[in-house]
Amino acid sequence: MKKYMRISFYVVLALAVLLSIRCTPQVAPGNLVDGLDRQVTISTVPQRIVSLAPSNTEILFALGLGDKVVGVTEYCNYPDAAKDKPKIGGFSTVDIEKVVSLKPDLVLATKIHAKTVIPALENLGITVVALNPETLDDVLRSIALVGKITGQDQRASELVTELDGRIKHITDKTQNMSDEERPRVFYVTWHDPLMTAGQGTLSNNVITEAGGQNIASDITGDKTIDLETVINRDPQIIIVSVGMGTGEDIPWQYVMSESRLNNVRALIDSRVYKIDGDLIHRPGPRIVDALEKMALFIHPELFAQNKSGK
Amino acid sequence: MALESIRSTAVQKRTGYPAQWRSRIFAISALAIILIITIVVTLGVGSTDIPFGTILQILLAKLSISNVQPTWAANMEVIVFDIRLPRLLLAGLVGAALAVAGTTYQGLFRNPLADPYLIGVAQGAALGAVIGFMLPVSWQLGSIPLLAFIGAVSAAAMVYSIARVGKTLPMTTLILAGVAIGAFLAAITSYLMIASGDRLQGIISWLLGSFSLTSWWQVAAVTPYILIGTLVIWLLARPLNVMQLDEEQAQQLGINVEQVKLILLGAATLITAAAVCFCGIIGFVGIIIPHAMRLIWGPDHRFLLPLATLAGAIFLILADTAARTMLAPTEVPIGVITALLGAPFFLYLLRQKKRAVF
Repeated sequence: MKKYMRISFYVVLALAVLLSIRCTPQVAPGNLVDGLDRQVTISTVPQRIVSLAPSNTEILFALGLGDKVVGVTEYCNYPDAAKDKPKIGGFSTVDIEKVVSLKPDLVLATKIHAKTVIPALENLGITVVALNPETLDDVLRSIALVGKITGQDQRASELVTELDGRIKHITDKTQNMSDEERPRVFYVTWHDPLMTAGQGTLSNNVITEAGGQNIASDITGDKTIDLETVINRDPQIIIVSVGMGTGEDIPWQYVMSESRLNNVRALIDSRVYKIDGDLIHRPGPRIVDALEKMALFIHPELFAQNKSGK
Repeated sequence: MALESIRSTAVQKRTGYPAQWRSRIFAISALAIILIITIVVTLGVGSTDIPFGTILQILLAKLSISNVQPTWAANMEVIVFDIRLPRLLLAGLVGAALAVAGTTYQGLFRNPLADPYLIGVAQGAALGAVIGFMLPVSWQLGSIPLLAFIGAVSAAAMVYSIARVGKTLPMTTLILAGVAIGAFLAAITSYLMIASGDRLQGIISWLLGSFSLTSWWQVAAVTPYILIGTLVIWLLARPLNVMQLDEEQAQQLGINVEQVKLILLGAATLITAAAVCFCGIIGFVGIIIPHAMRLIWGPDHRFLLPLATLAGAIFLILADTAARTMLAPTEVPIGVITALLGAPFFLYLLRQKKRAVF
């Protein structure tokens, strides 16, 4: 009999602890509209979150929600703590069974999951919120949204204020530049075939905000571009994204060794730079780091004293 | 049809060239001239507008035919001479190679569905290339074409050795072995592609075929294989004609059938491997061009082979020009263009000449 008393004591204690956790001032946000303009209802503050994209993972960790993240993708390598989380598959190849087994009360998805993954998860009764940032402003809005959903409004608004300040520091100087003041930038994402980022991409937005002029602005999305066009448009600066997943810089090596680019202004002036693909391709908080690097490459005369190094 | 033409040739030998020869010889000369015109005209087409006069001047200066003082930007010279010209030439060589190989395979197998990729060459090349993409990035640059070439040749060799029965090579067994090995290799390739993660983009582009980034060294690397292979096949046009009868009859007519088969298969495989190793698997050329030429000018391989060579080159140069200009400055995979242009044209020919091809 004493034994049962003791057990029931522990049960009551456990319930009390659980209730007290529930009573912390976290308010469930209720109805909201996500990045794909979907109506989502969040009835309780999520405690088990699965992230389907490296950028989502970075936002969650930046808001101090690392311990609530129960699943990430194989590509989630930042911050270091994210590497130890259970993996739910690749970015576009999500293992639905694995996601379900982690019993998430919130899955943070992106646009590429819209057609198959999101409906599949929702049919299984899992709450999914999609983020779809295409510009720097969108990234800030995504951070605010995640903050709202997870009851981290305060932390999110601090982060947004900080990031916004860093962005303004650059855009205040670049936003009114004329075309002549904006150097022609060729942004390389892959070398064979030669690929670049055009209108509607985050990279294009970052280049423009950093005071550059993307030579591929007549292309929409991530596309191939022919070498002839690059040579004819004569970029003054070439920026190569490196380290996509593999951490190596073969597209940069290609640009440096391609003899047909030798007469291009950027190579004559030795203005070919590398940027970490993980920074610029992920619409998370570190996109502002990418913007600062871009600004430094494109307008060293304006930004060199504020930041150092490549 | 083949038999008929051989007989008529034998008969006409004493009386001079038969009338149909004249039209075929005329066709070959006409296609050769069209090829040259195609090269010159498409050299002037691209995402960058360069006046035709400038292009001719650049060419003359480069070939040191005349001593023209450069009035153009250095980059224009790079675009014409180092980007467009090697690309055109490689497209022409690859088109010629695939068309000749396709003609040879169709002749050897006496099967209208035969194409250069029938005995596993494409699947072998694809597997080799995908393995190349899986290597550490710093090894990739030169190794992908090399591995594709090795993959193509070894797949064909494997099919050949499996299909061989004693000293003979039954063609049906060869086709079946080719299909089976091809499916097996394609399965491995698909698996590797799933496992390739962020390298998938590069792999898919390679598989769809592209001449983007072609430079002179690639032209130089494939030219010997394609020239020698094509020449060897041309020289065996007569035995190939005789083999259209029946292998047994050909043997009785004094042809070493097994030897001819081996040489033709070897040469066709080699030029196909050389064709696909840089630009990827380009479909349709190897099946459509031989048929089109046969439909128009008949099945005599002595004419069919040169006609297919020239037509293949012209076709692929035009297709690549479309690939690089249709959505300029971005590019369309050439495999899409070859099917898009080739299929309707071929269907038109089929409707025009409603008669048995084989």
